[in-house]
Amino acid sequence: MRHMPLSGVVGGFVISLVGTGFAQEKNPPVGEEKKAEAGQGTEDGLPRKLSDDVKTLIEEEVQRRVKEALQAAKPQAEAPQDKKLQELDEKINQVIEDQKKVRPSEFNPAIGLVGETIFSYETRGTNQTGNARPGGFDVFLRSVELNVAASVDPFFRGYAVINGSADAATGETLWGIEEAALVSTSLPWNLTLQAGRFFAEFGRLGYIHDHELPFVNRPLPLDQYIGGESRTDGLQLNWLVPVDHYISVTAGVGDGVGSPPNNPGAKRGLNELNFWGRTSTYFDVTDDWQLETGVSGLTNPRTEDRGGALLAPNGITTLTERKRQLVGVDLKVSYVPLQNNQFSGLTWGSELLYSHNRYLVDPNGTPFDGDEFERSNGAYGLYSYLTYKWDRQWSAGFLYERMEDAQDHRDVTAAYSPYITWATSHWNQIRLQFTHTYREPISGNKSDNAIYIQWAWIIGAHSHGWQQR
Amino acid sequence: MKSCLKPFWVVCLAAVGALMGAGRPAQSGEIRVVTTLTDLADLARAIGGSFVTVRSLATGVEDTHGVPMKPSFVPGMNKADLLILVGFDCEHAFLPALLEASKNPAIQKGHAGYVDCAKGIVPAEVPKSTDHSEGDVHPYGNPHYMLDPVRARQAVQTITEALIAKAPEHEADFKKNRDAYLVKLDAKIAEWKEKLKPLKGLKFVSYHGHWFYFAERFEMVYYGTIELKPGIDPTARHIENLVTSMKADRVPIVVREPQFPEKVPALIAEQAGAKLIKLPIMPGGVPKTDTYLEMMDYIVQSFVDAAPKK
Repeated sequence: MRHMPLSGVVGGFVISLVGTGFAQEKNPPVGEEKKAEAGQGTEDGLPRKLSDDVKTLIEEEVQRRVKEALQAAKPQAEAPQDKKLQELDEKINQVIEDQKKVRPSEFNPAIGLVGETIFSYETRGTNQTGNARPGGFDVFLRSVELNVAASVDPFFRGYAVINGSADAATGETLWGIEEAALVSTSLPWNLTLQAGRFFAEFGRLGYIHDHELPFVNRPLPLDQYIGGESRTDGLQLNWLVPVDHYISVTAGVGDGVGSPPNNPGAKRGLNELNFWGRTSTYFDVTDDWQLETGVSGLTNPRTEDRGGALLAPNGITTLTERKRQLVGVDLKVSYVPLQNNQFSGLTWGSELLYSHNRYLVDPNGTPFDGDEFERSNGAYGLYSYLTYKWDRQWSAGFLYERMEDAQDHRDVTAAYSPYITWATSHWNQIRLQFTHTYREPISGNKSDNAIYIQWAWIIGAHSHGWQQR
Repeated sequence: MKSCLKPFWVVCLAAVGALMGAGRPAQSGEIRVVTTLTDLADLARAIGGSFVTVRSLATGVEDTHGVPMKPSFVPGMNKADLLILVGFDCEHAFLPALLEASKNPAIQKGHAGYVDCAKGIVPAEVPKSTDHSEGDVHPYGNPHYMLDPVRARQAVQTITEALIAKAPEHEADFKKNRDAYLVKLDAKIAEWKEKLKPLKGLKFVSYHGHWFYFAERFEMVYYGTIELKPGIDPTARHIENLVTSMKADRVPIVVREPQFPEKVPALIAEQAGAKLIKLPIMPGGVPKTDTYLEMMDYIVQSFVDAAPKK
């Protein structure tokens, strides 16, 4: 195909040249033919009656000229098209070669960053509330979380969450590994294995990061009974029950769920680790209404110096935890309209927890003087909230919390918090919240009021914004 | 301790045990197909015929990027042989989490059961930057190619190939069904082109950027979107500017997709002197659009009815 034009030009040239030569020889023009027949000289004086030698010479000359013409014609005919084709070929080859190259950055994991700043005003100081942050006006970087995630190999993916937050005393950022774990991607029998540091699946919001909560602060019972987010160093197995109805079963073992490690520095038995489990299910009440519920359990059969000796409100008596148990039942009913769920929705979420711990009580705070005794304390805690979304950008809600102290169930703390959230986009939201906290006098603390503004944002790869929780 | 946790474990085990035998086994030889959206479900049914059972995650009225992530989807995905999706990251907000929860290796990305219908489609509007200052952009280009019936032919072919790969013993049936469907589709394409020929150059706006491929196919002018950026609601200034330019350029139609509230599109239509029409973006989005062909019929007829009469 590519040489068709060239062969055509050359062929045409040869035919015309040779044809002309022979035509001149064999078919002279009519006038000249007559002159030749007359045997007369012509204007240039050359004889027109050609001998065989002359014919041979002419043929040789024709062949020579054809050869020259071919040589001359070849590059002229190729130049316009072949050059372009050659350039095109080079470009294509370059693209193909470029595609073969793997840029070093393609090995990088997906990276995202979440930032969260809290502006607050509390009517009482730390000495009267027991809060970690100071009273009055306060602004602090509650967390910056760097999230990285990628496949490790065909069988596991890995992720890490590196968290930095401002220290209440110095303002300096304290960095820590909040999560760093492997998650299996191809285990049989509907199983998923998670190993490393992660948030243990306990309850509804226990394993949700602070900035993803539907309100500003972690509910009181989760904060005390679990110890904040349910961070653990351990192993967790999840099983999707192979039936037509959604049922998820999780079991795990780890060191220090939401709390410091147990019995540090000593030889530990298996019963000194934390064990937890959760079963949850889901129902489509209608196309638009959903119901999710679950039960969770956590036990640390034998604890030794977990979190150290706790000081009772009287300032003298100490309690050292010996056993830890926690159970919870949770429920979420939500209205998620199929048609415009980005613009409206309603969520009612509740969780009831029962903490049952055993403590070694030292009434005078002096160890090994013979007055220590063990006692158990059962304490209930719950939180319930309702969030209504009436616009893609706006939602508001109300949170109620009540908690009996895990060390002394007579010490009750309760709080209520209206809140309103403005999300300028999927990745940027500002929340205003008022919280009134009631504290029993037995706690040694006083009730107070607080106003919070929480500003949270997300940047980076694979960040899909906040879910409706 | 035992008194506290024993009931918990009893409840867990009882619940699991009671439900273990409740699964409904699939009929022998039946190919279980899950699609993300209803247009793909319609095509899968047309090609797969009696050899497939098809379930769509969306019902048709949802936002193509915002199908609610219901845990009730998970058991069906867990047992699916094929997952058919639009691709170009159209389902990025809900599919990855559901795929992970499904624990079904056969339909994970890279496996034969993961059927990406964007294969073979040349994307338009590929962003130069995926920075969020440009909104919730699709890094691989505009994913709404199914509203162009010619490009939908490619999806028909992709689904056919996936079904044949899954059940080669039914290859002849699938090809026969495909050919029959394409005959109908091609006839409809010719009909739609004829109907929309007088509307060549017609300008329109819509809430979200669903209509690029449609406008290109039928030689209309896709004037702009009501959204400020993909996934970002319009500001007052954007609405004002849009109305001003629509008036100046005589844009006669405002399209509202069902999942977006009517208030803002109606306001813009009123102020710009344009006609507001509600158009589905997948079958089931509005009544009497149960199939892909019915939906496209509805869309074409709505444009014809709404266009200014010359």
